[in-house]
Amino acid sequence: MAYAYLFKYIIIGDTGVGKSCLLLQFTDKRFQPVHDLTIGVEFGARMITIDGKQIKLQIWDTAGQEAFRSITRSYYRGAAGALLVYDITRRDTFNHLTTWLEDARQHSNSNMVIMLIGNKSDLESRREVKKEEGEAFAREHGLVFMETSAKTAANVEEAFINTAKEIYEKIQEGVFDINNEANGIKIGPQHSTAGGASGAGGAGAGGAAGGGCC
Amino acid sequence: MDFLKSGLKTVLGAPEPGHQPSGAEIVERLVDRVNNSTLLEDRRDACRALKAMSRTYRVEVGAQGMDTLKQVLELDRADNETINYALDTLNNVMSPTQFEEEENNPRVPMNIGEQFTEMFIKDHHNIQLVLDLLDEYDFRVRLSAVQLLTSLLTNRPKDIQEIILVKPMGVSKMMDLLGDTREVIRNETLLLLIKLTKGNANIQKIVAFENAFDRLFEIVSTEGYSDGGIIVEDCLLLMLNLLKNNSSNINFFKEGSYIQKMLPMFNTPDESEEAGWSPQKVSNVHCMLLIVRTLVSPSNSAQIISSCQKIMKNVGLLDALCNILMSSGVPADILTETINTVGEAVRGEVTNQEFLGNVMAPSNPPRPAIVVLLMSMVNEKQPFSLRCAVLYCFQCYLYHNEMSQASLVQTLLPSSSDMSSLTSGQLLCGGLFSSDVLSNWFSAVALMHGLIENPVQKEQLLRVLLATNIGSSPVSLLHQCTLLLQQTTKLKSKVALLMLLAMWMSYCPPAVAAFLRAPGGVGWLVAQTCAADHDDNEFLLQGLSALLLAICIHFNDDSVDNYSKESLRQLLTKRIGMEMFTSKLSEVTRHELYNKAAKHPQLRAKVAADVLVDYEFCRLFKVLESVLVQSLTDRTQQNGTGSPTLERGSPESGSLEQYKTLIRQQDARLQELMAQLEGLLHQNQSLQGALNDSISANSHLKDENTLLKAQVSAAVALPSSTAPPSVQDDSRLQEYEARLQALDGEVARLTGELKLSQDAQRSTAEELERVKKDQDDLLELLADQDIKLNDYKMRLMSLGHPVEEEMSAAPQNLT
Repeated sequence: MAYAYLFKYIIIGDTGVGKSCLLLQFTDKRFQPVHDLTIGVEFGARMITIDGKQIKLQIWDTAGQEAFRSITRSYYRGAAGALLVYDITRRDTFNHLTTWLEDARQHSNSNMVIMLIGNKSDLESRREVKKEEGEAFAREHGLVFMETSAKTAANVEEAFINTAKEIYEKIQEGVFDINNEANGIKIGPQHSTAGGASGAGGAGAGGAAGGGCC
Repeated sequence: MDFLKSGLKTVLGAPEPGHQPSGAEIVERLVDRVNNSTLLEDRRDACRALKAMSRTYRVEVGAQGMDTLKQVLELDRADNETINYALDTLNNVMSPTQFEEEENNPRVPMNIGEQFTEMFIKDHHNIQLVLDLLDEYDFRVRLSAVQLLTSLLTNRPKDIQEIILVKPMGVSKMMDLLGDTREVIRNETLLLLIKLTKGNANIQKIVAFENAFDRLFEIVSTEGYSDGGIIVEDCLLLMLNLLKNNSSNINFFKEGSYIQKMLPMFNTPDESEEAGWSPQKVSNVHCMLLIVRTLVSPSNSAQIISSCQKIMKNVGLLDALCNILMSSGVPADILTETINTVGEAVRGEVTNQEFLGNVMAPSNPPRPAIVVLLMSMVNEKQPFSLRCAVLYCFQCYLYHNEMSQASLVQTLLPSSSDMSSLTSGQLLCGGLFSSDVLSNWFSAVALMHGLIENPVQKEQLLRVLLATNIGSSPVSLLHQCTLLLQQTTKLKSKVALLMLLAMWMSYCPPAVAAFLRAPGGVGWLVAQTCAADHDDNEFLLQGLSALLLAICIHFNDDSVDNYSKESLRQLLTKRIGMEMFTSKLSEVTRHELYNKAAKHPQLRAKVAADVLVDYEFCRLFKVLESVLVQSLTDRTQQNGTGSPTLERGSPESGSLEQYKTLIRQQDARLQELMAQLEGLLHQNQSLQGALNDSISANSHLKDENTLLKAQVSAAVALPSSTAPPSVQDDSRLQEYEARLQALDGEVARLTGELKLSQDAQRSTAEELERVKKDQDDLLELLADQDIKLNDYKMRLMSLGHPVEEEMSAAPQNLT
């Protein structure tokens, strides 16, 4: 499908915090209550609109388990945005944020937009991490913060879209070098040659059909 | 060698006169020099010399110099030339290929490169050293490092993949080299990445994440797509590695709109007819076809397959593939692979199947492409692999598509009067009865696929009549198949016909009846099943005969007098025996070709001898085997339902159907008994009423009797006191006596009547008791069935079969 920009995202955070569920809720609009361990990395994609422009999000959902940590590190470099997720009902997942952040900062490009997500906001009764604590952590490290629920879909759209907005603004400000694909940003086919545009038209129909079946 | 010696002289100084140093000695001195020289030039020269010797004295250089060379990589990084020599030396030492210098040297073991690789990678840090050298921009160093990694990967792929995976930026570094403007490095990197990505899903995903598809398509397009050189093939091989069995990457490929980017690969320009196909172009297109097939491979998830198929249709890829199919001058192996690809691109996707059905071949008169393909399938002169491909494509065309199945059978029915053009049905019938055994097999299997899970077409096909000889009356297709089965001596034809008949007759009692009416069929099956030949193929034949016999019993609707369900069952138990029968049946799954066929929908036969069993038949067999054995061995089944289960599907749904009929019957019987009980109760009530009436009448009569007796005694006493008795009294007494007698008679009669009605009451009460007991039993049985039914429902649901509410409603209206 024709798009103005393509952003690559990664989702990181401890195992079981709901990374895959956030992705599933965002791409398929459904929730899967059973925890199915992610092996390595899984891929998902969706189109969004910002400022009247079509933006394609390609999202790599990584495995939270320690054993896969070295594999997931390979994905930091090429990503434009990262969702760093913790579970508000498990204090330890919040405590590990610093490690995740260090890892991300070390291996990613410096302009990567990181969104801090406190997931499972529907489980208010079992909350262990206060919203204020998340806000404070985000302020301290210069992140955007949001509490979400992959189960009720609360704030899920916003989390992905706000991250995209942030990246989009950085592009407008000229912070990102959009011609370097290692930044995780690609310019859409309509910006390139005319030959590509006709191909993209056909692709649009295909993409729509594919999306309909999912 | 002269050069080598003179080189050595400059490094080592002149040899002592009279003593020719051995290779090992020279290597030792060189290694020593690399270790101990303080001057960079000396170390560099020694490395150069080691490199020169490493081909002839591989064992010595590897054994003595490995650690030293590793050190050089670490310490002499500043000097590109030294590094380059060290890398080349290591590459020689660990090279997977044998050098011509060592061809005649028996002391060099065959897997020497692998052994040294094992030593080298024991310390993971060594790999990191080589990876770090990829950052070096120097042409020689970078190239040597890439080549060394390629050698390492060739020798120990799994180990190196795991090591590189955990090195931060390991894969990314290699991906960066794809963008190197020096083509040699780019091309060598391609080879490295092909080795690196083979069979490792995690590396494949990282490579895809690093924009591999974009870069590869860029290279492919600048190289001129299918007309490009071997580099195009390398790019496509890498893509193939990235996609094979990797659903995440396939998803990425699909979402990234890369399917449309494949399109130019299949654009066959008009002039290609004259130019012909170069061997490289054949390889390139072949690889591209494999990529298409990887996306829609039946082993992928249904969701991925269907969305990829839709995109292929929408972007015109399917169209392009069909064009190749119908254009002339296409090499046979490309044509074969294209047929396979088209098949998988339409398999199970109705719109795509319809599209393929409407493709017309540019022949005169124009014929549907399907017909032209089938013509090749039943043509002995066509290459074997091409014929197999056509069968697979046709199977895909029919797969899960009732319309295409119906249209195939339609072409055989007498109503289609268009005799002028050749139809697919006619071709298959021709093939079925041709003298070419492979044509028999292909046609029977193709026809069989027209019947899969389609009860309507099974019955339709029964209407097909064949005119065998001029003058004789036409025979039905099934009849003819039965005759041919008995006449043919060819194993392949027999197996093919048995498979066709099994598919046709299963879940289709009319077909069973038609088969039973054909002469000799049952006898032949019994004889085959009983045969005692010991040979894998004979075992298979016996097993298939047993299967068909069991189908004749299980799906029998008792419409043929001689061969009712019961008589056939007795025939089986008496002539063959249950144990023998089950063991023969289980022989089928032991056959090597059965197991081969069961693995994949496509027939993967390299030679004609491998063609025997079909994938869909294996699936049918798996479903039927347990159902049939159970139905034949289960005694209670015998006096049970009687009506065969007609529903197609899993064994659960078969027995569920049986239970449903059973419950329905019990339901009816229960209703009947309830009505009977009500009638009896009513009768009982009326009898009770009558009894009460007669009891009260009786007591009334008794009272009257007593009264009369008293009157009589009073009357007797009266004359004695008023003696002499008058004549009048006398006559009165007589009168009374007579009356008394009459009353006595009346009392006796009533007592008899009372006894009679008491008896009647007792028997009614007994009847009532019995009926109540019956009802209890039935209710218990019903509860039992209910539990079973629920159980099956759960199982069905877990199997993903929808369960309609009607089933759960059935027991409710009984309670």
